[in-house]
Amino acid sequence: MLKYILRRIILAIPVLLGVSVVSFMIISLAPGDFLDSYRLNPAVNADQVKNLEKRFGLDKSPVVQYFLWIRNILHGEWGDSFTYQIPVWDLIWRRVGATLLLSITTFIFTWGIGIPLGIYAALHQYSLGDQIAAVIGFIGLSIPNFFFALLFLFFAAKTGGKIFPVGGYISLDYDSFPAWKKFLDILWHVLGPMITLGTSGLAGTMRIMRGQLLDELKQDYVEFARAKGMPENVVIYKHALRNAINPIITALGFSISGLLGGAVLTENVFGWPGMGQLIIEALLQQDIFVIMADIMLVSVLLVIGNLIADILLAAVDPRVRLRLG
Amino acid sequence: MKKFLVLLFVLVAALAVFADEVDWAIEDVAGKPGGTLFLDTTSGPKTMNPAWAQETSSTDIIGWVLDTLVHASNKGLAELPGLAKEFTAEVTEDGKTVYTYVLRKGLKWSDGEPLTVDDVIWSFEKIWFDENMTANGNAGYMDSNDELPSIVKVDDYTVQFVYNSKFRRGHESIGWTEILPKHVLEPYYEEGKFQEAWSLSDLDKVVASGPFVLKEYKEGVRVVLEKNPYYYRKDKNGVQLPYLDQIIYIIVKDLNTGRLKFEAGETDIYSPTAEEFPEIRAMAEEKGWIVRQGGPNLGSNFVTFNFNAKDPVKRKWFRNDHFRRAVAYAIDKQTLIDVLYNGLGAPLYGPVSPSSGFYNPAIEDLGFRYSLARAKKELKEGGFVLKGGKLYDADGNPVKFELTTNAGNNVREEIGNIIKENLSKLGIEVNFAPMQFNALVGKLVATGDWEAIIIGLTGSVDPASGWNVWRLDGGLHFWNYSPEVKPDMFDEELKAEYVVPEYEKRIDEIMRLQVSAVDKEELHKLFDEFQMLVAEHQVLVYTVAQNYLIAYKNTVHIYNPEPNPAAGALWAGWNIWKDQ
Repeated sequence: MLKYILRRIILAIPVLLGVSVVSFMIISLAPGDFLDSYRLNPAVNADQVKNLEKRFGLDKSPVVQYFLWIRNILHGEWGDSFTYQIPVWDLIWRRVGATLLLSITTFIFTWGIGIPLGIYAALHQYSLGDQIAAVIGFIGLSIPNFFFALLFLFFAAKTGGKIFPVGGYISLDYDSFPAWKKFLDILWHVLGPMITLGTSGLAGTMRIMRGQLLDELKQDYVEFARAKGMPENVVIYKHALRNAINPIITALGFSISGLLGGAVLTENVFGWPGMGQLIIEALLQQDIFVIMADIMLVSVLLVIGNLIADILLAAVDPRVRLRLG
Repeated sequence: MKKFLVLLFVLVAALAVFADEVDWAIEDVAGKPGGTLFLDTTSGPKTMNPAWAQETSSTDIIGWVLDTLVHASNKGLAELPGLAKEFTAEVTEDGKTVYTYVLRKGLKWSDGEPLTVDDVIWSFEKIWFDENMTANGNAGYMDSNDELPSIVKVDDYTVQFVYNSKFRRGHESIGWTEILPKHVLEPYYEEGKFQEAWSLSDLDKVVASGPFVLKEYKEGVRVVLEKNPYYYRKDKNGVQLPYLDQIIYIIVKDLNTGRLKFEAGETDIYSPTAEEFPEIRAMAEEKGWIVRQGGPNLGSNFVTFNFNAKDPVKRKWFRNDHFRRAVAYAIDKQTLIDVLYNGLGAPLYGPVSPSSGFYNPAIEDLGFRYSLARAKKELKEGGFVLKGGKLYDADGNPVKFELTTNAGNNVREEIGNIIKENLSKLGIEVNFAPMQFNALVGKLVATGDWEAIIIGLTGSVDPASGWNVWRLDGGLHFWNYSPEVKPDMFDEELKAEYVVPEYEKRIDEIMRLQVSAVDKEELHKLFDEFQMLVAEHQVLVYTVAQNYLIAYKNTVHIYNPEPNPAAGALWAGWNIWKDQ
């Protein structure tokens, strides 16, 4: 097992290198660079722009820049953000808390509601409950996130911000709250973005679960189990569900990579201080080292997520064996 | 022993009284202290280091925290005392200019350390005058000979900046520069890490000289500013300012959310867009808001034509005064204002905003108002011929060109669409395709591979802030770069064709002369001429600007009698107070 994991990790290195080359070159080849806003600023003269180009290393060719970047990483230096003048990881870590809070609660919301609903819908196929669940799921899927978020905020504002807050991360008088209330306050504020993001993911999870379980329920072994008099609960949850859950686990592995990705539009509307806002700003300003660090972070998480999914699959399904070859 | 203690006590008390002696600035206002002002901003500060801060999101916050020697009046002129209680400019007999600043006594940083003339000298000598220490460079402090002033410490409270030539912008450049705390920032400087000082990772090191102290910054959430207990102003009842205990900026990225928050009463002051302004005004009475309108904003939006376009045929049109004038006549500015700004805007005819004290209203008399007949007349005078609804130049080439702007800027895209439509009425075919901002800047300042662009520049009250645009060797003289500044843009053929029109030469001269125009009248005359030249030749074809719009709760008492683009609702913010 350990050997398998080690091997997967070693194999990931060329993949990550490839990702870094491609993304670094794409960013460098895009027209312009971070200093473009300086170039159009009447207060900055051309000499100063040259001065800054040299200071930020933007006067070198993209290939040289890439190798300098790789060399610095090997020394543990991921570079400074041009905009903020601080090391990129300092910047990213500051956003991790809020990002994780939102993605994990959304994750729980999507999967915690989606899987049971999917099971329910499969067991009561074509019933009224199944139809209603499908309609709700598709409504969530079809309304664009930013629009749903705006509707949500509009509702919150019209009700005076009593039921739901009008966006944001904390209340105005947050500082005067005792610790338990601070915690509840943040949870209260996460509801909006969580519901927005959660409803859009709900349909997917629910429909996959429903379809998979229905497939399994039509198999011969289910018929046989029922025939030999096995209780219905055991048939469904011990046999059919365990077979049906495989694709869900694979999807779960992928969603781990999304944990730190952030959600730009939803974060923007709700004023949620997540990673998405940081990265979109960095992209617009071509703050290259911030973008690169984020891309590498997401890639590493993707590799790890896949690995976890594979291990989980092996644990859940005895037919799956992890082999080195 | 007892006697000694008493004596010691008296001595300490005397020293304390002595140390407390402050040259208070007394404000003509009588409000109530206390309360928190809630504002919204689309983004938090990126750094608190004034030498490296670029965006207004950073400089707005820095403006509360770090004070300057001289303050701006609500007309945006350097007229009011700040850290310096007296400030003068004097031209000596041998042609030097001496700027003298007398600091207030008893000034303190928010950590209790005294703010002295050494801080002032250190700030300029080590930081602001060193081009490697700041993002914008030191060109703003240089006189017409590109020389920096020498700094003279006269006494413990007085410092002089001596220029070897006549220089008029001292109070705007030196006077408006943030004074830095030497005792906090010197260690960073010595380590060669000044630009990292006061970045997000050490905001707790920020000390204040302005009315507020940075208390807390939660990224993406809010910025909390707290009253500086050592601020040097009092109101007429002797209450120490600022009135407000706190200012909290709530960070709201999305503009719709910003409005919802104001409507829900979470924020006190809101800058509505022109689109939503009528609605806000209609709700004002019911909600208890005050809505105000100021003059047009200081920034500009204009169409620029490339005098050195790659295509020699088009180059000729773009250099033709009549052609640009015809375009100016063909832009329906009133429609633009109605469509884009709900009527809440003003037409621009020249490079200086009507909100600036330097605005020359005479340029309006040149009569560049919407008139297709006049546009056609101009084209005719310029040698163009209208045949079968299409325009041809004197050599029979059909007139069509590429117009672009940065995609995503609704105002500029709309301007482009309207210009395209209006010019088609003159028989000119305009191919309008917006492109990504960085690509646009690349073409504009690096390759020169463009024909016409709609773009804007930030402006300020003083027209000289555009020197980099108007001087022939300026880094932003994009419509007619000199081959010496941008050698990569010119091949041999184009270089041979490079021409500087007379009016451009004169504008260049004015931009050089104004630096040493210490005399106010002479200065106004120069800038009047400058505006006339630009407007007459339509070097850049100006479009429209939105008015300054603001809404605030009636429980907030702003101090600025007339909020305007040069000094907004938050001007002299230490005098703002709130009903409790």
